[in-house]
Amino acid sequence: MRMPLLALLAKEPAHGYELKTRLEKVFGEAYPSPNIGQIYVTLQRLERDGLVFSQDVVQTTRPNKRVYELTDVGREALLTWMDRPSDGPRVRDDFFMKLALSEHAGASDRLGLINRQRRHYLSQMRGLTELMTDCDQRIPQLLIEGAMLHLQADLDWLQRCQEEMV
Amino acid sequence: MGAVARWIRADMRASAGQATAVAGVVAGVMTALLLSAGLLQGATNPWQGLFTASRGAQIWLHLAPRTYAASLRSLPDVTAMTSPDEATAATMAQPWQRTRVELRAMRPVLPAIGRPLVSSGRWLSSAVPGGVVLEVTLAEAVHAAVGDELTLDNVDGSIATRVRVVGLAETADQGFYPDQTPGLIWVLPGLLQRVEPDPGRTQEVVGLQISDPDRTGFVVQEVVTQVGSSAVGSVSTWQQVKQSMARRDPLLGLVLALFGLVALGAAVLAIINVTTGRVLVQHAELGMLQALGFTPAQLTLMLTAEHGLLTAAGIVAGLLGARLLMPLLLGAVPGGSAASVAVPAGWSALIVGGTFAAVVLATAVPAWRAGRVWPAATVRAGPRGHLSRLASTAMAARLPPAIVLGSRAAFVRRMPAVLTIAGLAVPMLMITIGLGFWATLDDVQANPAGIGLATVTVGPGSLTMAQAGHMIAADRDVRASYRCVQAVGLVPGETTTITTLGMGTSGRPYPFDVVFGHLYHAPEQAVATQALLDAFGVQVGQFLQMYFGGVPVTFRIVGRIIDPQYGGEVLAYGTDTLPYEGAPSAAEFYSLVLRPGVPPSIAASRLRGISGGRLDIGLVSDPGDQLGVLRGALGALIGVLALIALTSLLTALRVGIRDHQRDVQVLRAMGLTPGQIKTAVVVRTTVLAFVAVTFGALAGRFGSSYLIGAVSQAYGLGAGLGRAAPPYAVAVTVAVAVIAAAAAGALSVRTGNRIPAAVVLGP
Amino acid sequence: MTNGAAMLLRTVGLTKIFRGDGVRVAALRGVDVALHHGEFAAVIGPSGSGKSTLLHMVGGLEPPTNGEIWLNGARVDGLSQARWAMLRRRHIGFVFQFFNLVSNMTVADNVELAALMGGATRRQARDRREELLAELGLAAKADAAPARLSGGEQQRVALARAMANRPSLLLADEPTGNLDSAASQAVLRLLGKAHADGQAILLVTHDARVACAADRVISLFDGMVIDDAAMDLPLLRATPAADRSDPPLRTPLPDVLKLRG
Repeated sequence: MRMPLLALLAKEPAHGYELKTRLEKVFGEAYPSPNIGQIYVTLQRLERDGLVFSQDVVQTTRPNKRVYELTDVGREALLTWMDRPSDGPRVRDDFFMKLALSEHAGASDRLGLINRQRRHYLSQMRGLTELMTDCDQRIPQLLIEGAMLHLQADLDWLQRCQEEMV
Repeated sequence: MGAVARWIRADMRASAGQATAVAGVVAGVMTALLLSAGLLQGATNPWQGLFTASRGAQIWLHLAPRTYAASLRSLPDVTAMTSPDEATAATMAQPWQRTRVELRAMRPVLPAIGRPLVSSGRWLSSAVPGGVVLEVTLAEAVHAAVGDELTLDNVDGSIATRVRVVGLAETADQGFYPDQTPGLIWVLPGLLQRVEPDPGRTQEVVGLQISDPDRTGFVVQEVVTQVGSSAVGSVSTWQQVKQSMARRDPLLGLVLALFGLVALGAAVLAIINVTTGRVLVQHAELGMLQALGFTPAQLTLMLTAEHGLLTAAGIVAGLLGARLLMPLLLGAVPGGSAASVAVPAGWSALIVGGTFAAVVLATAVPAWRAGRVWPAATVRAGPRGHLSRLASTAMAARLPPAIVLGSRAAFVRRMPAVLTIAGLAVPMLMITIGLGFWATLDDVQANPAGIGLATVTVGPGSLTMAQAGHMIAADRDVRASYRCVQAVGLVPGETTTITTLGMGTSGRPYPFDVVFGHLYHAPEQAVATQALLDAFGVQVGQFLQMYFGGVPVTFRIVGRIIDPQYGGEVLAYGTDTLPYEGAPSAAEFYSLVLRPGVPPSIAASRLRGISGGRLDIGLVSDPGDQLGVLRGALGALIGVLALIALTSLLTALRVGIRDHQRDVQVLRAMGLTPGQIKTAVVVRTTVLAFVAVTFGALAGRFGSSYLIGAVSQAYGLGAGLGRAAPPYAVAVTVAVAVIAAAAAGALSVRTGNRIPAAVVLGP
Repeated sequence: MTNGAAMLLRTVGLTKIFRGDGVRVAALRGVDVALHHGEFAAVIGPSGSGKSTLLHMVGGLEPPTNGEIWLNGARVDGLSQARWAMLRRRHIGFVFQFFNLVSNMTVADNVELAALMGGATRRQARDRREELLAELGLAAKADAAPARLSGGEQQRVALARAMANRPSLLLADEPTGNLDSAASQAVLRLLGKAHADGQAILLVTHDARVACAADRVISLFDGMVIDDAAMDLPLLRATPAADRSDPPLRTPLPDVLKLRG
């Protein structure tokens, strides 16, 4: 949740409810509708970490709303996230978010994004290959092979993303 | 180069069946061509070979006895002269027949000019006083061989002499027996005297060699002037001999040569088919080879070399085959002998060279064209085409899809379809023409009188003409007999003598088949063959004058007949036209017209039996013999043509199978069952075959009568001879061809499925 | 990538447009590729991206519509087919999907033929053939006809054939396309060995395992090059400080194993 919010804020400041709306628009059916409460909690944590700062805006007919804005540190963190290849257990979600939010984040080079991710996958594959040659027991080998197959699938998916979104 | 050789070897091994077919076709065509050239050569020029080998004389004279011939030597154009030899007429008696012959006395030492060429046995020698040498064609005709014992009867039958055949020899003095009757036998002078002691019945035979053969006519005139025309029995010139030797076989040889030429064309077509089909099938493979590093030039070389090798093998086989078959063939043709037969080098070179060049071209061109395509493009190559409106309509009309697709597939590749159709149509055309020839032969054989051949002649032998006449009349197979005479006439200005025939009388003429004008009905009217008219430059309705023993007779030509027996030069008239007193060596005989359906040989042997061998039965060279050979040759040629057609068919199949394998998955996906798919392949080849064969048959049917007419016209047989192939025969052939195509298609589809082409050759 | 080494292959603006039945298909649109001696490059991309076409043109099997091809400093895109054929004999080996084997020659003959065309003597050709077939585990099938081999075996023989003439440049289109993992491993091993011996390789693949064995990975999409990444040495060790333009390809491997189960 953290990064998407930062990405949305990179375009222009917004308050909590606006962010919820934008999230829904970007992700549509892909994710369950975000919980406004969770959004506020995440925003507060971001502010605590110095990635965003908030301001109260006085409104005449309504209660005051808190508008959030990206700090330089936050911008930095966002760019770092964009540039670094996705990894970890939720790699596809993470990458997909980057792809979807790339316009907002001002990093509109989707192709570059995909390229970087691909390179990452390839080098991972290379590592696995090395591992495989060093390993001579069957069960670990099977494990490695499983990882390889997943990587291949991810690469293929990357290709699909490229076809659809570039 | 090693790589090229390797590929060629491997490819030949892999497609061994097709390779053998190509070589086989070439061999067959080669044999046929060489045989026909040999026959043509042997037929057109046995004379030349013989003349040169025997150091022949250009002019031969039969003079009255004791004519002072030595003066001839001093004539300006005469370079050499044989010493006069005695000659006499006699009858050779064998247990089963009697034959009129001429005995000529010669010494054991062969003369300088006009020497006979001994072909088997040995020449006369004083060690064997009773030995005789037979001329080769005579010996063949009467089935005499070295070692046989014969009896020679003199003219009036009063003396019979036993003799033994010690040898056979060839000569350029006279034409082949029985064209130039009587047959020739050489004997020692002593023997001749024993056989015919009466010098009044002998003649002197003198041969003259002259410096300029073109002046033969003039020299004959001088000779006749010098010795007086009453002393001249007959004159024969080298032109007559040459022509007589050339007589019979040109027809045979021409027919064969014609066929051979077209067969060569058909073979070239077949080879083109094979190559193009092969190149098509190998298209992707050629791309592969190019990718490997073979240049387009090398590819052309490889394919051409491969086919060139196969052709060379075929040529060698063909040469061998011709060499083996030639003697067999000639055994059946009268007048054939080893000396005159070898195919002259010029012809051989032409045939071999021509075939080879044709094959190389036929291979090189498509190979070169295939090599020019970029390798990657060959993978994409496939038959182009879209579903024509016709096809889609047919589909919509719920015609069986297998039929529609199959028919469409037949024409989807334009050029190969054309080639296949041509490759099948041309052989079919020729086969149809061949069947027409066959039908014509049937006609001729069944009805020889229909084309003017006298079938059986009967000489009185030791009987009188009257006695012979009674015996003949008693025979039930003889429908009619005509009393005939053979008279030698001298044509002024032409300086040659020709044999003329008095056949029947003006009141009862021999029933020649007159194709123009009418028979002779009055004395001094005559009918003649086209060849004679051409030779003397006269036409029907004009006059021709001849001297018989010094007595002039003027004939008016009233009709034209067909008679190939005497080389086409025949003049026939009523015997009452002849001035009997003056005609020398007039030989009398009966000409018989048999009842229809009676084979001449049967009638002849029965007459012999009835007469106890005393009658002199002559079978005019049974057309059956010659025609038998012709039939055999035709049959062989039809076989070769069928083989050629088969090659084209198989090639078409191969291409079809490949396309079929390409498409089989798609077709199955579209909902066609495997059975339907196979049917489509069969339909494809059947449709192609049907179109081709029908076209060829129709063209052949119309072509054959025209062709035969043209040929017989050229040979003085006149028009009207040809018969088109009977419809049922053509229909049967067409049916056979179509069924064969369908069967071949069905068979190959069955076996073709085993090879996973997609794996090796790509989609 | 060794900067000092000479350039083996270079294409400039390579374009290929297929015209057929009134349809115009641009298979390659201005592709620039460079390969050094001894370099191993993999070309990846979706089907229809022009990968095979690129290989065909670099091997002279298809003429380009536009652009330049330089091999060893000499311009080759306008060469005649004959010259290309001669070039291929000695300098280029290829394994393509459709040009695998000569169907009427045995396996052994196929491999030897390539060696012979490359200029080897018969003895040398035979030795080379034995060596290659043994490497690929196909020694037993040396006398078989290609039609009798499985798809995978045929592909391996094709590879042996491609390498028989010791080419400077090896072109391969999906060399592991039909193969199971054991056979793929054999092929990869052979390719790796060849590479270690200094063979330059340009291959097309969709298999990431094969691609990542390369020095460089070129991504094609819709007829154009969209990425050309150098694959650094495999990192079981950490790299120095990250450089953004050349992102460190650091892989915490134990994590991978743990997390992708």
